[in-house]
Amino acid sequence: MARAAREFEVLDAHMRVLNRRNLLRIDWALPFLVVVLAALGWLTLYSAARSAEDTFYVRQVAFFCAGAALALCIVCIDYRFLIWLSPFMYVVIIGMLVAVQYFGARGGGSERWLELGPIRVQPSELSKLVLVYSLTWYFTLLGERIRRLHWFLLAFAIAAVPMVLIIRQPNLGTAACLGPVLLVMLYVAGCRWWHMGLVILVGLSFVPWLWWQVYEFDPNLDAEARAAHDAAAEFYELKYYQKMRIYTFLNPEADPRGSAWQTIQSMITVGSGGLSGKGYLQGTQTRLNYLPEHHTDFIFSLYAEERGFLGVVVIAGVYLAFLLRGLQFARDCPEMHGTLLAAGVVTILAFHIFVNIAITVGSLPVTGIPLPFMSYGGSFYMTTMMCVGVLLNVPMRRRMFVNE
Amino acid sequence: MLSRKEPKRYEGVEKRVQWVALALAVAFAWLLQQFWQLQIERLHEFQEMAETNRVRNERLKSDRGVIYGRHDVILADNRASTDIVFVPGEALLEKRREICMTLEELLNVNGEALYAEVEKNKRAPFTQITVKRDVSRRDAVRIEEMRYKLDGVFAVVHPQRRYIYGETAGQILGYMGEISQDELDRWRGYHLGDLVGKMGLERMYEHLLHGEDGYAVVTKYAWGRPQFLTDRRGVPRIAARDSHGHLLTEEAPRKEPNPGQPLYLTLDIDLQREAERLLRGQVGAITVLEAETGAVLAIASSPGYDPSVFVTRGLSHERLKLLEAARPNPMRNRCYVEHYPPGSVFKALLAAAALEEGVIDKNSTFFCPGFYQIDGKGRRWHCHKRSGHGHMSVVPALALSCDVFFYNVGRKLGIERIHKWCDRLGLGVLTGIDLPGEIPGLIPNPEWKQQVMKDAPVWDRKWFEGDTVNVSIGQGSAATTPLQNAVLIASIMNGGRRVRPYLNRAIGPALSEPLLSDETLAVVTEGLYECVGRDEPGARGTGRRAHIPGMTIIGKTGSAQIMALEHHKKYETEEDIPYAFRDHAWFIAGVLDREPRIAVSVLIEHGHHGSTAAAPVAKEIIEFFYAQEAAREEQAPVTLARQGGR
Repeated sequence: MARAAREFEVLDAHMRVLNRRNLLRIDWALPFLVVVLAALGWLTLYSAARSAEDTFYVRQVAFFCAGAALALCIVCIDYRFLIWLSPFMYVVIIGMLVAVQYFGARGGGSERWLELGPIRVQPSELSKLVLVYSLTWYFTLLGERIRRLHWFLLAFAIAAVPMVLIIRQPNLGTAACLGPVLLVMLYVAGCRWWHMGLVILVGLSFVPWLWWQVYEFDPNLDAEARAAHDAAAEFYELKYYQKMRIYTFLNPEADPRGSAWQTIQSMITVGSGGLSGKGYLQGTQTRLNYLPEHHTDFIFSLYAEERGFLGVVVIAGVYLAFLLRGLQFARDCPEMHGTLLAAGVVTILAFHIFVNIAITVGSLPVTGIPLPFMSYGGSFYMTTMMCVGVLLNVPMRRRMFVNE
Repeated sequence: MLSRKEPKRYEGVEKRVQWVALALAVAFAWLLQQFWQLQIERLHEFQEMAETNRVRNERLKSDRGVIYGRHDVILADNRASTDIVFVPGEALLEKRREICMTLEELLNVNGEALYAEVEKNKRAPFTQITVKRDVSRRDAVRIEEMRYKLDGVFAVVHPQRRYIYGETAGQILGYMGEISQDELDRWRGYHLGDLVGKMGLERMYEHLLHGEDGYAVVTKYAWGRPQFLTDRRGVPRIAARDSHGHLLTEEAPRKEPNPGQPLYLTLDIDLQREAERLLRGQVGAITVLEAETGAVLAIASSPGYDPSVFVTRGLSHERLKLLEAARPNPMRNRCYVEHYPPGSVFKALLAAAALEEGVIDKNSTFFCPGFYQIDGKGRRWHCHKRSGHGHMSVVPALALSCDVFFYNVGRKLGIERIHKWCDRLGLGVLTGIDLPGEIPGLIPNPEWKQQVMKDAPVWDRKWFEGDTVNVSIGQGSAATTPLQNAVLIASIMNGGRRVRPYLNRAIGPALSEPLLSDETLAVVTEGLYECVGRDEPGARGTGRRAHIPGMTIIGKTGSAQIMALEHHKKYETEEDIPYAFRDHAWFIAGVLDREPRIAVSVLIEHGHHGSTAAAPVAKEIIEFFYAQEAAREEQAPVTLARQGGR
């Protein structure tokens, strides 16, 4: 027994770097589901291409390959090493988020990109994973102390710093992603029930604030008045386009050709699909340009139009299987690091999947949330594949602990 | 191994992870339920919305019906108006500017502004940009010649209303204008921006002239509108690419438009033009009816306007306001949207009514001392002849227009019976002509006075005998339209049958039962004939200036007072009386011994005397009409035969 333990100790030392035997121990179900989802994503993207010039589905394949390589790199590094690094990563990411405020490239009406030589980095994308690592580091450090209120609240402070910086970019979608990550990880880390209840109550008390923001909202301002509105807004107030989105979500008929146009057209696209869909490459709504952002945020509408309800059931099943497999890793991991890491990463992906799909059926207001494996976009594909890499890492190290 | 600083897991962490998994499963189930609702339960609703998204019914406008006059002369038709349009998407990017400059040279438009427009539409490069509207034939030919260097420049032909006789009959034909919101709500088959009849016959027969639009079903992209081009005959076709450059296909067989129905009028455009010429420089109205049928041959009013001003540059509200504010108003046809006191013309009706009621007979006489007093005392109503006519019976009273005779007759008849006969013979009531905006005029009676004077003291509300006396010679509050007076004379010529005037030949005549007995008609006709006079010198009838040798003409003059006679005495000569205070001059006439027999009603506003201002006009009208008829008969009897057949 002691000999075996020593053997594992040696093994463990080697595990921090690339190791063939480790790779053989990789989980096969999760990569399989990932390939299925990626393949469905390519097919849908191909259908989204309206003309020969639209070649983003080719680039998406490249993104997948790059992402897979990145995932492989992550798989090779012991996750505990990254957790050990996470306080530094946290500081760096905060620095990048601040830098983006001053040197960021503009994209989609907000500063999001940071140019680092040839690479463009989106710190807000990275911050999701970094937060998961940081919180894991923090919670494992705390252990049982998480049941004390002040340690519990400190977790919020850790999450709040990147969140506020991202909101100020402004990038509401990404910021909103950090909230569920924090809550789920707190829960898994073992916080008290009534602490959680308190937080949810405080969260609900923000609803009146949101209401107040949109209460005297005038949706018919011209460009100049909008700029003036944004300039006059206090730091705790929402920008015009954010108010607009909430407003149109609450009053979809108010502006059928404006922001609500996207929701309505998406609902038509989904709804007209029926049970079995219009057939692959036969989606009229997309072909005639009615569906906005049909290759990015609204790609799921296109899928639902062409494959119908049955197709939706299939892909939802695959997504759910993928996420549950991730949670299975979390449950079966014998130590806290892996459990928290897997739970956090699954929450990131689940949030994106759920919110994106809920937006396509008009159940949530339009926020730029991409769909993992399907939406076109390199940066987010990288994040997704990194998440996959982190998830795969968790069960691989499992065997280190079981044989004592 | 866990001793190696690996953090221990607390009890129950597995359960918490499983709860998270359960929450995830519930969330996904909820999502699927949402999809079930949209894709299965509300499928038809969304399918329909997707379908309306997918195709567009593109309208193919129908041609408006042509308006013909008497003898099938074209009065209003549609000419081909050519617009030059530029579709930048059809030309190379670097050539677009050059094309704009060439167009500047050829069409004298601002090339820079045009290019700015091209730049503005960069995102929708297949949008048609109108270079110049309604170009001349010469310009169109020049564009055609330069085709080889003008890629993307097309001529688009569309029909435009043309009023061939311009101002002539302008008020009758009316004009076209953009459809109003109100009309859009009430009428079916119209769209915003359509041109519809706004006045006159264009308005009245909008439903016939408009026709039925067709449509073509084309693919509809979210951004981009189908563009129309036409071949040289003006037949529309849909351009292969819409404004954003999507290739279009027609998805279903197209429904061709039904052109509007033609409108055949009774209006004799030459007579109308002559009538308008006679009125030029004066304010007045001339109505000519075919006595037997009530067919309107001319219905002229002065001043008039040319409806084309609304066509060529569209209906501008400023222009309309200008026309409407002008005095005298050129927009109103004085024949039926303006009323005047009928004056002595009314005596023809009064004579007929009195004879019919048996109040007088042919030989009843009244003595005219030059004035009339109720029961021999009080206020004096003067005869226009101050010295008096002496003993008068009905025939000379009509011929000489003796006021006192008719004061007596009117009082004997009483206001109620006068009113009744006015109703029957069509004074003070709508004639029913097929033109919009006709007004009824007014013949007063005691109830009417009660009503309008209801705020006045009781003693003013009462109907006085004096009121009856006033009405007896068509004064006081009595007011009739020139058209009504024409109907009156036509009825007398027509054996007492009242006609309903009409312009649309398809409607056909509508005559009442004979309202007057033959004896009455004989007496009244004799009186009116005496008024115009025979072929002998020394005729004294007031209408003698309308006399045409060799023709049997009946007529009645009228001079409707604006001010009391006393007022006119202040001035030495008639020319000194201010224009606005002068009497209106009336003359109604009928020709008995020609085919077709016509009834004429002439009104000259502030023309002093019917006998001098109106009667000569009526004479010229009658002469012109029969001369023209004779000429046509000689020339082309075939046309007449066709006319009869219709």
